[in-house]
Amino acid sequence: MTDTLLGILHMSIFPGGVFALALGFFFKGLDRRLEARLQRRVGPPLIQPWLDAAKLLTKETMIPKTACRQAFLLAPVFGFTGMAVCAAFIPIAGVYNGLFNMGDLLVIFYLLPIPAMAIMLGGSASSSPFGAIGFSREMLMMLAYETPLLMILLSVAMLVGKGLAGGEWGAEFSLLKIVAWQQENGSLGLNPSMIPAFIAYLIFLPGTMGVPPFDIPEAETEIIEGPLLEYGGPLLALFQITSALKTFVVLGLGVALFFPGVISAWWPINLLWFILKCLVLMVVSLTLVKSATGRFRIDQAFRFYITVPVALALCSLILVWVM
Amino acid sequence: MSLDTILKKLSVRSPWLFRINAGSCNGCDVELATTACIPRYDVERFGCRYCGSPRHADIVLITGPLTTKVCDRVLRVWHDIPEPKVTVAVGICPISGGVFREGYSIKGPIDRYIPVDVNVPGCPPRPQAILESVVLARSIWLKKLGLEA
Amino acid sequence: MAGFLKILFRNLLDGPSTDPYPFGKTFSPESIRGKVKLDPDLCMGCGMCVYSCTAKAINISPLDDGSGYTYTVWRNSCCLCASCRHYCPMGAISIVDDWHLAHDEESKYGLVEHHTIKYEPCANCGAMMRPIPPALAKHLYAQSKDVDPEKIRHLCPKCRQLEDAGNLAKAQTSDAQPAK
Repeated sequence: MTDTLLGILHMSIFPGGVFALALGFFFKGLDRRLEARLQRRVGPPLIQPWLDAAKLLTKETMIPKTACRQAFLLAPVFGFTGMAVCAAFIPIAGVYNGLFNMGDLLVIFYLLPIPAMAIMLGGSASSSPFGAIGFSREMLMMLAYETPLLMILLSVAMLVGKGLAGGEWGAEFSLLKIVAWQQENGSLGLNPSMIPAFIAYLIFLPGTMGVPPFDIPEAETEIIEGPLLEYGGPLLALFQITSALKTFVVLGLGVALFFPGVISAWWPINLLWFILKCLVLMVVSLTLVKSATGRFRIDQAFRFYITVPVALALCSLILVWVM
Repeated sequence: MSLDTILKKLSVRSPWLFRINAGSCNGCDVELATTACIPRYDVERFGCRYCGSPRHADIVLITGPLTTKVCDRVLRVWHDIPEPKVTVAVGICPISGGVFREGYSIKGPIDRYIPVDVNVPGCPPRPQAILESVVLARSIWLKKLGLEA
Repeated sequence: MAGFLKILFRNLLDGPSTDPYPFGKTFSPESIRGKVKLDPDLCMGCGMCVYSCTAKAINISPLDDGSGYTYTVWRNSCCLCASCRHYCPMGAISIVDDWHLAHDEESKYGLVEHHTIKYEPCANCGAMMRPIPPALAKHLYAQSKDVDPEKIRHLCPKCRQLEDAGNLAKAQTSDAQPAK
C-alpha cells in the first residue's frame, strides 16, 4: 500500500509530474533563448513555455466534425500519462533511485515512444489529410530512431552485465545497478568502447524530440504542423507539456546511461549537478544542431538514422563483445 | 485576482501569429518573414511564433486585396481560428484595396467580410511598423478578454 | 561542421543585434517614404497629383460655397510611389520619414492628410481665385522687370490678362514714341 502511494507520489510530484514538468519547461525556455542568442537575436523570455501553456488554456477548443471524437480527445492524455510515468523511472544519481530496480531500462524503452504514438493517434483521429501525412512520417521516424536506441541500450546493458558477472556473458537491465556500477568503475561516456554509443545517443536525441533538422512529422511550412494541425487550446497545451516531460526523460536517461557521477554527499548539490549535465547534453545535441540546420526530407532522415547511429551503436556492441 | 484573470493576463504575452495571403503580391509577406528571420527585428522577443496551423493562431495577419478566387478560402481559414483572435490587416491592399481597388477581380477591402482590429498601412509597411502593430494587437487582445491594457 | 560552430560561437560572443524597438529606439534611413505631406501655401489645386496617383488616394474637391477647395490624401490607400511628389509642378508635396502608421480600426478613415485651402478675392474685380504662391510669381516674372509679382499674384486670370495687355500696350507706345 505504501509502495503504491509512494509510486504515485513519484509519478506526480518528484521526479515525474510537477518536477519533471518544471525542469522540462525550463530546458525548453533556455533552449529557445539560447537558440535566439546563437542566431544573434534576443529571443523570448525564459518563462515563455509557461506563458504559451497559460495562453493555450484560455483558448477555445475546436473538434472537427469528421474527427473520431474519443480518440481525438484521449490522444494527448495518453501521451501525457505515458511520459509522466516514464519520468518516474529516471534515476537521479545521489538523489533518487528510480521507481523499481528490475528491468526498468526495458520499461523505459517501451514507454519512450508513447508521445510519438499519441501524436500519431491524434493525427489519424483528426481526419485531416495533413494529419495522415504526419502520421506516416512520424511512423517512419519512429522506426528510424528506435532502432539505434535499442542497440545503444543493449550495448550499455551488456557492458555493465559483463562487468557485474566478472567477464562472463550477461546483461543488466536495471538502471539503478547501471548507475551504481558506473559510480564504482567510471562513467560509461568516458569508456572507449562506449564512445560510439554515446555519439549515437546524441544523434538519437534531436530525432526523438522532433527538433530541426528532424522535425519532419510536424513540419509547419510543408504539412502545416501535420498531426497537431487540428489541435488547439488545452489539448495542444497537453501536447506541449508531454514534450517538456519527454525532454526531461531523454536528457535524464542520457545522463543516467553515460555520465551518472556524483560530486557530493549532499543531495541538493547532486541535483544541481544532474541538471547541469542535462543542460550540457541539451546544448550539444539539440540547441546547437537546431539553430544551424534546416530540415531533412523524410527519406534522407530515414536513411541517415538507419545508417549512421546504427553503425555507431553496432560498433559499440562489437567492442563490448570483443573486449 | 482569480486564476482565470491571471491566466488571461499572462496569455497576451504569447501571441502566435498566422499569415493569410489573400491574393497579395508577396511584398508584405516578405516583410512578415523579415520580422521573424532577421535578427534586427526578431518578433520572437514578444513570445510570438509563426505557426503553420490556423487552429494555433491568436493574431491573424492578412495581406493582399482579397481577390474573388481566394475570398471563400480566406473566410474558411479565418473561421477556423479559435476565439479570441485579433485580426491585423497588413499593407494598404487589405485595408482599402490600394492600387487594386475597384478592380474586376477584387472583393476587398477586407473589412467588408472580416472584422479587422488593427491596420498597418504601407506598401509594404516597414518591419518595425509590423512590430508596432503586433504590440497594438496585444493591447486589443487584452481588451477583448475583458481586461484593460 | 567546424565552420558553422565558429559562426555560432561568434554570434554568441557578439550578442544580439536586435533593435529594442518598439520599446526603444530604432533608425530611419534618410530616403524612407513614410507619410505624404502637403504644403498648403504652395498648392495651386491644379490636380496633377490626382491624375498621377496610382492608388486614387488623393482627392481635391471644391467647397460647397465656392470659397475654396479641400485637399485630402488617405494614407490607407497611398502606396507611397511618390508620383505626386514627382509630378507636382509646385513642389508642394513631400514625403516625410514618419512611418508610425499602425492604428486601430476606429481611426481607419481618420488617417488622412487634410487641408482646406481658401480662395481670395481678386484685387481688381473681386472674383474668388487662388492667388499665385509668391515663390512661383517671382519665378514666372523674373524676366519682366516692369511687373510687380506681389501685385500680379493677387489678380484673377482675367484681370491678369488685362493687366498684361495693358502693360504690353504701354510698352509698345513708349517704344514707338522716339521714332516719331
